[in-house]
Amino acid sequence: MNHNVVDQSKDITILELLDRVLNKGVILTGDIVISVADIDLVYLGVKLMLCSVETMEQLKLGKSVPEKL
Amino acid sequence: MMIYSIISLNKNPEKLKAYLQGMKGILNTDLYAVFYNEIAVVVSDLKRANLVSDSVNALAYGDVIEKLAKQFTLLPMRFGSVLESRELIISMLEKNYYGIINNLQKVDNKFEFGLKVFCDTEKVLAELKIKLESDDKTETKSLKETQNSVYRDWVEKKLKEHRREEQLLSYVNTIIEDITNNLEKLDSVSKFKKMVTETTIIDALFLLDKPKKEDLVQTIGDMKIKYPGLNFVLTGPWSPYNFVDITIKE
Repeated sequence: MNHNVVDQSKDITILELLDRVLNKGVILTGDIVISVADIDLVYLGVKLMLCSVETMEQLKLGKSVPEKL
Repeated sequence: MMIYSIISLNKNPEKLKAYLQGMKGILNTDLYAVFYNEIAVVVSDLKRANLVSDSVNALAYGDVIEKLAKQFTLLPMRFGSVLESRELIISMLEKNYYGIINNLQKVDNKFEFGLKVFCDTEKVLAELKIKLESDDKTETKSLKETQNSVYRDWVEKKLKEHRREEQLLSYVNTIIEDITNNLEKLDSVSKFKKMVTETTIIDALFLLDKPKKEDLVQTIGDMKIKYPGLNFVLTGPWSPYNFVDITIKE
């Protein structure tokens, strides 16, 4: 494969992979369970999985979650 | 149980069993498969309290899926997909079997690629300046004849912005048409988003047969040469995250 054409830089690969695993793929309906640091056990509707890691960080810090979520 | 992906067994469950030997999932948990007819779900046992939604775990999750995709046709699950027991997984597969099979057939032996096209908008518009200036003259003359106020300046400014957007969009459409024409021979499925940001003028996704990936790379390489002012970023191959169309019910 021509490596000049396919971008293989680590940062871009990480961003693209994160975008896919957090925002795409098959959705399983129902509730999921996530624990975030300082919050032992949080039950979240599956819609919340549309959020990014940054939003989870906001949750962790006790900041409000954007309304769109 | 953390669910990573749904795999098409292709009448060969032993291949999956062998492949999963020694493979690890999130937090170093062992991966194994739950089988149902012609499909299987790859899972690992994870205590709820340990399921932290951070980038390390999300990347580990994605990494498992990408490794599996190299060997099997699969539907990637979204990060955070959990079911409590093997019985619930079997029940889920039973209820959604035909939808899963349809989606697996759609992505059978195919890869996803992503393409982002970046540009210096001002530079591109500068190259299109001759046409803009010619339009400006006609428009300004027309306005002067009919208006004589501060309002005219505001209208002129808005018209100019609108023309810039139109010019840029027209340019983007030309590139998309060019890409589409060149990819026609690959029989790929394409999705395009235009003008995602000021600098990301195209965000595209392609689903194509695995053996055709070199042709895609060649085609995008040719586009890079043809449009030296644009920055083409092609990534992949990926699992078909953007081409699965199913919401699974428990």
